[in-house]
Amino acid sequence: MSLIQLYIPSDVARFTVSQLGEMGLVQFRDLNSEVSAFQRSFVNDVRRFDEIERKLRYLHKQIEANGVDVYEFLDEEFVGGSRGPRDLDDMEERINSQESRVLKLTAAYKNLQLKHLELLENKYVLEEVSSLFTEISGRQGAPAGIQGAGRGAGRGQDAAPLLARADTSSRRSIGSLDAARAGDLEADIGMSAMGRDINVGFIAGVISRDRIATLERVLWRSLRGNMFLNYVDIEEPISDPNLEEPVYKSAFIVFAHGESLRARATKITESLGATLYQVDSSAERRQEDLIDTMSRLDDLLHILMNNNVARFNELTSVSEQLNTWFAVVRKEKAIYHTLNLFNYDANRNCLIAEGWCATNDIPAIQSALHLATEDAGSNVPTVLQELRTTKEPPTFIRTNKFTDGFQNIVDAYGVPKAGEVNPGLFTCITFPFLFALMFGDLGHGFLMTLCAALLCVYEKRLAWLAKDESLRMFFTGRYIILLMGIFSMFTGLLYNDIFSRAMGFFASGWAWPTDQGGEGVTVEATKLDHVYPIGIDPAWHHAGNSLLFTNSYKMKMSIVLGVIHMTLGICLQVPNALHFKKRINILHVFIPQIIFLFSIFGYLVFAIILKWSTDWYARDAGGELTHVSPPSLLNMLIYMFLSPGSVSDDEKMFRGQAALQTFLLLLALVCVPWMLLVKPMILRREHQKIISEGYGRISSHVRVSSEGDGIGGAVVVAEQEEMEEDDFDFADIMINQTIHTIEFCLNSISNTASYLRLWALSLAHAQLSEVLWTMTFLPTLKMTGPYQPVAVMCGFAVWFVLTFSILIGMEGLSAFLHALRLHWVEFNNKFYDGTGVKFEPFSFKAVLDEAEDQ
Amino acid sequence: MNEIYFNADGGYLEGVVRGYRDGLITATQYLNLTQCETMDDLKLQLATTDYGHILQNEPSPMATSTLSARCTEALVAEFQYLQQNAAEPISKFLEYITYGYMIDNVILLITGTLHERDTHDLLDKCHPLGFFDSMPALCVATTVQDLYNTVMVDSPLAGYFRECLSAEDLNELNIEIIRNTLYKAYLEDFMEYCQGLGEPTGAVMAEVLRFEADRRTVNITINSFGTELSKDDRAKLYPRLGSLYPVAQTSLARADDMDQVKAVLEQYGEYKSMLVGVNLNAASGGAGGNELSLEDRFFMREVQLNKDLFEQQFHYGVFFAWLRLKEQEIRNVVWIAECISQQQKDKINNYTPIY
Repeated sequence: MSLIQLYIPSDVARFTVSQLGEMGLVQFRDLNSEVSAFQRSFVNDVRRFDEIERKLRYLHKQIEANGVDVYEFLDEEFVGGSRGPRDLDDMEERINSQESRVLKLTAAYKNLQLKHLELLENKYVLEEVSSLFTEISGRQGAPAGIQGAGRGAGRGQDAAPLLARADTSSRRSIGSLDAARAGDLEADIGMSAMGRDINVGFIAGVISRDRIATLERVLWRSLRGNMFLNYVDIEEPISDPNLEEPVYKSAFIVFAHGESLRARATKITESLGATLYQVDSSAERRQEDLIDTMSRLDDLLHILMNNNVARFNELTSVSEQLNTWFAVVRKEKAIYHTLNLFNYDANRNCLIAEGWCATNDIPAIQSALHLATEDAGSNVPTVLQELRTTKEPPTFIRTNKFTDGFQNIVDAYGVPKAGEVNPGLFTCITFPFLFALMFGDLGHGFLMTLCAALLCVYEKRLAWLAKDESLRMFFTGRYIILLMGIFSMFTGLLYNDIFSRAMGFFASGWAWPTDQGGEGVTVEATKLDHVYPIGIDPAWHHAGNSLLFTNSYKMKMSIVLGVIHMTLGICLQVPNALHFKKRINILHVFIPQIIFLFSIFGYLVFAIILKWSTDWYARDAGGELTHVSPPSLLNMLIYMFLSPGSVSDDEKMFRGQAALQTFLLLLALVCVPWMLLVKPMILRREHQKIISEGYGRISSHVRVSSEGDGIGGAVVVAEQEEMEEDDFDFADIMINQTIHTIEFCLNSISNTASYLRLWALSLAHAQLSEVLWTMTFLPTLKMTGPYQPVAVMCGFAVWFVLTFSILIGMEGLSAFLHALRLHWVEFNNKFYDGTGVKFEPFSFKAVLDEAEDQ
Repeated sequence: MNEIYFNADGGYLEGVVRGYRDGLITATQYLNLTQCETMDDLKLQLATTDYGHILQNEPSPMATSTLSARCTEALVAEFQYLQQNAAEPISKFLEYITYGYMIDNVILLITGTLHERDTHDLLDKCHPLGFFDSMPALCVATTVQDLYNTVMVDSPLAGYFRECLSAEDLNELNIEIIRNTLYKAYLEDFMEYCQGLGEPTGAVMAEVLRFEADRRTVNITINSFGTELSKDDRAKLYPRLGSLYPVAQTSLARADDMDQVKAVLEQYGEYKSMLVGVNLNAASGGAGGNELSLEDRFFMREVQLNKDLFEQQFHYGVFFAWLRLKEQEIRNVVWIAECISQQQKDKINNYTPIY
């Protein structure tokens, strides 16, 4: 990592940042951190593009609302290449004109829609009112027509039906006029229908359906019952341009007596959000109005359609460019945001930028700077120089698509400090290996490899998977899964498991007796004189003591591998200490730790291997057993602590065992105070030596000056923050060291035990797949009869689906999790601090991806 | 027992409202806001707060009224989200909170009708939280009786309105009386309801409601100076709760000027400290520099009380407190925006900081 400083002439600045953004190699530092966002130099440009982006968002919303397809097309040349200010101005102008046109069209559309709404409602009112009138007058028409003179009697008679109707169909109207008035009213309506004068007027209008009840109540109360309201629900919902969703409405008609009451009713209905329409009382006129309205409605619909087509065309032409414009605007915004991080020297007409970049990338950056200068057509070059600094650089770990997934696993725990050993490298192999120990099955491993291989081979075509939140995990981890699968096939071969079945590729090292047999008879296999060449002998598979055997084998294997893994972790302290020049960490941390681990668990591993390689049932020439019996290693370890110096005869493995054990125990005990006390004491002595020599701490405010300062006394930008305070506090160090020592000693036991999960999970996996086989598939194979083929098919389907979902899916996740834990807890805490900061270069790709995610 | 089931019944809503609380603008953000030179700067600064996404689609020269409208819309949307997800008794509690806004709306409409304003303009000005079905019909009422019989009778405020029926016709004074009578009845009812909810809601709400009552008492007293309101009538408007009730209210009812009010208030520890350095004759925000009006002090005290509500668990007061704090925040933002757009930078710091 290098800290670089760029002197960029201001007319080249935009091109330079654009080029660097395309490459994504530099992480710029904020040189104006004390300046608030709106006081920075390029805030107006940021605002300009914010405004353009807002317009684009508006256009996008319109496009979506109108169901126009957005083209996926991206004008690579315009987006990726260098854009002059002229191009941007052109783009802005185009966007502005498109936006204003769409705005106008939309406004016109809304206007038309309002008119349409008005006409539509008018039509409904007319229709409904007419139907109301015919209903009423139809019933009253007969008596009124026949008893022309005796209308008074007619009134009396007709009052009843109206009220009755109001009662029965109570949701439709409230007839609250008293009988006489109702008669009056009805008669008047009857008269009006016949073209005579009226003194009971009415108002008609449309109101949203849920308001009707309120309207009724309020009207009834405020007119003291002197009114008659009738309404009809309009069947289809009406779309109101002011509202998002179409609403259901009702047409109503209110009869009220006298001018003032009608005015009141008008006011109330209007304030409740109703729209009133003029309805003529004469049937013929209403008919005329209706026809007129209908024809106007037709005209309007025609215009509306034309408008729609125009809008659609406009939006389609926008949609072709929309993606390109969005990308360009976002890039430009990112450029100006970055420029805002720079120090702007208005006098000298140049910008000073500082940032981190990988030292190998400097030539690439240089050439990008040249390109930018050419793009701008300027002849003043940008000056790049490296700064010497004591600042902690961000950590940049170059990954490829293979290592990326593994590095992510490590970064999730902590980003390595610059120069620290990166566990990601080891994780690439240890992770899938530990996983496979828990997932050992050739068949499951093969299926997993197959899936991962498909993901890897078709990774370009399947890139869309990365956009889906739940599938992203599998896609980005495809190489991890691939390796996990391959390793699982290997361990499956060693465990001799394929879908819980055994494989007899080679001749077994055991022979079963063929003469004895029958139900419930225990037979014993005899050992032949050759050994099964790879992995576990298939003969164990059906043996009664197969669990005893595999458990003991896998348990020991877990311990051996665990100790090896932890030893690697402890050894990695050495390169760390060498890089950070802390010899003390090697001498007084690493060495006692490794001795401690080896004297207890190293010895255990040794005993395990010794036990494996000894033939405990070998007989000497006289036919006597050469060994007493195989010793229990667990007891050996326990009694090594409980009764040091003595080993019981039937547990003895080799000569001098007791003495060796005592020695190792003492060695381990010596390591504890060594780890605990020596390092703090040395640090203390060094500190006191410095003090006694009269050196104090000076306030360290380092200013790094660069070589190129000669020109006009350049201002140095790289002001360093206060150096990290190294206050010496003995108590702190002591407490820290105590904690570390206790942690290490306890952890060496608990972590070793923790590796036993390798055995436990592999046992669980093997047993589960065995159960699945015997419960679902095996019974169908044993069936006889004509239905067997069908049963086998079903049995296989069930078995396969469950194998895939439970054994590969869920068990795989659980094994993954445990492998993760073994790396994060058991391995990483031996050497890894992970307190670094990730290198996040300024790159357009990241900017665009982020915008897309939102 | 309340505590055991609290999280089952109201845990989600409480979580939401505490999340809303964390979105409130902090002191540093206020500091940034006050440094803005133009409305565009303000918009840029607000983009980093919770208001960012509601303002991002506003075309650039943004008016203060738009800002205020958008902020209120956001507040209402958040409150309605709470309401939609609430079950008894939280839904009832939230409803009680809206009654205060209903009273304001009713008074606004009556006053507007009295001055013959356009109904639709008035309806636009009403606070959306205080909407009720028959509310628009208020604009036809001309007498108090009318008002009650036509509209109020089936609004939630009907019970509160009964006491106002003695007033005859609608004029400025009577409207003020109606407002205060309604508010008095509302506060008393709300108090009673909260006590019914059990502890700790009852206790924490009692504190804020008592303060609210005291504030109204003082305001009624001050506003009635120089009006034709008789002292007996004045006493009738005081809410019958709060720390000023009943002793101090009797003396306040007889007070004739600010000094007497001050003398009465100074007998109470919490108000005595509040009155230090207050310019009693200044209107809110009108005082330049460091001088604060009584109203500003009341706002500050209210903010403090509401913040304290968040310190306790298992009660519904957080909903009330968040709404009040958010309203105060909107007032602050709008105040700052007004100061910026009117170039009155010297008064820009007269907002009430919250966090």
